Amino acid sequence: MKIENFLEKHEIREITIFQKLVLSGGQVGYTEMVDHLDISKASLDKDLEAITFRFQSISSNVRIDYDGHMISLFMGHEFSLEQIYQHYLRQSIKVSIISYLYEHQEFTITQLAQKLTVSESSLFRKIKELNSYLKEFQIKIRNGRLQGEELQIRYFYYQFYWYIADKSALASRKNDDQVERMTQAMENFLQATLDPESKQRIGVWFHISKNRVNSRSKVYKTLHQQMEPYHEDPMYHKVRTMVLRFFSRYSIEVDEEEGMMHFIFLLAFPILSENDFHEYTLLRGRRTPTAALDTYIVETIIIQYNLRKLPYMLEREMYYFLSQIHTRMYFFKGDIEIYDYDAILAKEKKFTGKDLLSFAKQLRDISIGKLSIEETAGDTLLKMELLKYVSLLAIVTFQTATILQIGIDLKMESIYTKALNQLLVMNMQHINGTHIEKYNPKKDYDLILTNVPKGQKDHYGKAKVYVLSEILSPFDQKNIQEIIQNM
Amino acid sequence: MRVAIIGASFAGVAAALEVRKKFKQAEIILLEKQSKLGYIPNGLHLYLDKKIASLEEASFITEEQLQQQRIQIHLSSEVERVDVAQKQVSYQSPAGEDTLVYDKLIIATGSSQLSQKISGCDTTRVLKYKRFHEAEDALEKLNNSQQVTIIGGGQIGVEAADLLQKNGKQVTLIENMDYVLFKYFDKEMIEPLQAEMEKSGVTLHLNQTVSSVEETDETVVAHLLNESIVSDTAILAVNVRPDLRFLGDQIKLHTDHTIVVDRYLRTSEKDVFAVGDCIQLQFGVDKDTFYIPLINNAIRTGMVAAANLVEPILPFKGSLRTIGTSAFDYYIASTGMTEEESLFYTHPVSAVRQKIKLSSLPTAETATVKFIYDKESRVLLGAQLLSKANILDKINTLALAIQTNQTLEDLMQKDFFFHPVYTNLIETTNLVTWPDVRWGAYED
Repeated sequence: MKIENFLEKHEIREITIFQKLVLSGGQVGYTEMVDHLDISKASLDKDLEAITFRFQSISSNVRIDYDGHMISLFMGHEFSLEQIYQHYLRQSIKVSIISYLYEHQEFTITQLAQKLTVSESSLFRKIKELNSYLKEFQIKIRNGRLQGEELQIRYFYYQFYWYIADKSALASRKNDDQVERMTQAMENFLQATLDPESKQRIGVWFHISKNRVNSRSKVYKTLHQQMEPYHEDPMYHKVRTMVLRFFSRYSIEVDEEEGMMHFIFLLAFPILSENDFHEYTLLRGRRTPTAALDTYIVETIIIQYNLRKLPYMLEREMYYFLSQIHTRMYFFKGDIEIYDYDAILAKEKKFTGKDLLSFAKQLRDISIGKLSIEETAGDTLLKMELLKYVSLLAIVTFQTATILQIGIDLKMESIYTKALNQLLVMNMQHINGTHIEKYNPKKDYDLILTNVPKGQKDHYGKAKVYVLSEILSPFDQKNIQEIIQNM
Repeated sequence: MRVAIIGASFAGVAAALEVRKKFKQAEIILLEKQSKLGYIPNGLHLYLDKKIASLEEASFITEEQLQQQRIQIHLSSEVERVDVAQKQVSYQSPAGEDTLVYDKLIIATGSSQLSQKISGCDTTRVLKYKRFHEAEDALEKLNNSQQVTIIGGGQIGVEAADLLQKNGKQVTLIENMDYVLFKYFDKEMIEPLQAEMEKSGVTLHLNQTVSSVEETDETVVAHLLNESIVSDTAILAVNVRPDLRFLGDQIKLHTDHTIVVDRYLRTSEKDVFAVGDCIQLQFGVDKDTFYIPLINNAIRTGMVAAANLVEPILPFKGSLRTIGTSAFDYYIASTGMTEEESLFYTHPVSAVRQKIKLSSLPTAETATVKFIYDKESRVLLGAQLLSKANILDKINTLALAIQTNQTLEDLMQKDFFFHPVYTNLIETTNLVTWPDVRWGAYED
């Protein structure tokens, strides 16, 4: 599902107005905006009015002005698009429904309709919509409860409170001291060091666990099967002991599965530091589905990149990220698309200059096969994990890239040569993985750029030669870029 | 003033006696669900240990003793509803439904062994014997059993294993942690007892959880993750829990369904108090409250609630979870925090162990003592004892030391009597640093 699934159509349009303004330097002509949104003038007027009303209380931080011709955005330096999104989400009825469900676990339609001051029929409609998005998480709101596998419910709530709802509200509502102590205890039991963000993540997870621990009729069917290969895992043992000991101090008969869910959480999200995770990999069993897959994927990447010697720290990093990707793929269903998939892909491509997507897809398909994942239509998780494979490949590309040595050898009057050399170097510096300089006959190069036709010069050794037709022409630049990409 | 007390086990009776002492004119009414008064929970152990000749003898109070104190007792009276607005208790007695109006109410309904997670554990071959009638039934079934499976390696489970094994039964004990008595002892402290347990023939299944129990015509089967254990009967020795459904949502409860009380044991409702196994108690030095269902806590909270009936004058001092027992030829006792549990504590904690002779005689027995203390302030936080000799009383000295914030150095020069027959150069609970007196490793 997407964040915007929590919003209404007109709210999404209002956010689009903000986005357009941010992308256009803060000002857009009225007609251009009408065209961009593909709506009537009356609708745009209505949207602008709605925005003014919605941001009235914080207009010193953010507001949109319209002078009859131009629409302009004012936004304080500490305010961002992200906060505008949050502002809309806080007022969303669908977010309120999930929050209410989280807090009360059960509701009747009358009760909830009164609380949210909406009609019962409109509440029914919203729940139906929500259920269509929750489907990929394999959970649903039914008979006034959230139903499905317990791990999936907690995972959904975690994503919801981490990305959608205000997590600070979650913390202040509950007994924060206890959660803080549990986090501290987790650090002690695992003998790990957690950074502030990891602690915040664990805090949100513990709030959810505490909220759910007593709920009725929890379902663990899939979890049992999935956890079977992990019963001997050393970290699972530590977590299990901690959980049993913790709950032995309360009048709670804790489920055996409680420890399993904490263990999965620790591996699926960036909680452990790369170093602590590495310590764990030295002890963990090699044959669990995720551990075996981590190794298989690392090897596949090594072969594809033809890496004879993988830098040690890079290998550790690869295992660290792959383990999170694979744990999520193995245990979870569904995700919330928080980053714009296409935009991230485009950015990766720009920086690496390579199309990593097809190989990433290949890796993801291997994983789907090895983990025997049943692909369901519209599972955002598989889409988002693909993006992570791409990012991981980008990291590998950066760290293993050999720097191409390019020499410029121009033959003309020295005053021109000097100026043009400088210009060429400046112009091509942005191409990653290259080092460009004036040709030095004592050095070896991978590519020589020259204006002297081939045959007249043959002392370039093994270097590839490109003869410039017209120095700094777009035609030459395009060709050079292509040569570099293929080298 | 009419004081109604729901539950006439230790907490309820202690509260009733204390109310009488403080308020001579008060009308005191005890409502008890059971038909028998004053049965000592797990009196069955006393019988199996041949300390009493019949279960009837396991009694801590009689109706006559209560009547002498002008305390009314209604047995077989189960409370069905409390109306805190009307100050009314509705209960079912042998005579039918009845209602009682109160000025002050003390909830002392206690707890019972129940499990919602182990499916099938309410079958007839799975024994519980906290109450008298349960014990009578259990005794008969145990007499006819040769193989007994005990679910839970806490104090009840370990004591039962010892007694049943001594009575010639073949005993299997299942514990979900990696050693028995984990709430009270650190692993290395209980190791000798656990070894003795196995040596005597008890089969231990550690790190194992019973998921379900199945009863057949002649046997009962406990299902673990990868195996099943068949026996004639099983004993459910899991943690106890209160059952407070009769309160509805009138009184504020914790997440673990115990009643929220303040330091004076007042609940969220005016004139309603809660004591014993119905509440959480402050444990040790942290402000945290935990569920510590022990008889000593039941009695002490009963007395404190009674003292605060009219005005809050006596705060409850909290619990150190002090226990002492004997099993498999060892005497063991514990108070306060364990080292393993200190991972939940916010400050750094250290521990030191000493093995010390109990007298100055050549035949002297030894005792192992473990002190757990705050690393910075060196204030004592917990202690554990293990010996072949009866040193149980000594844990009370250490509990008082914790309650009064004594440091290790204070313990070093704690005053004591010396007599060569009864003491070593230094008393057992004084921290010793001399290698000759202390046996075994000194870790500091």
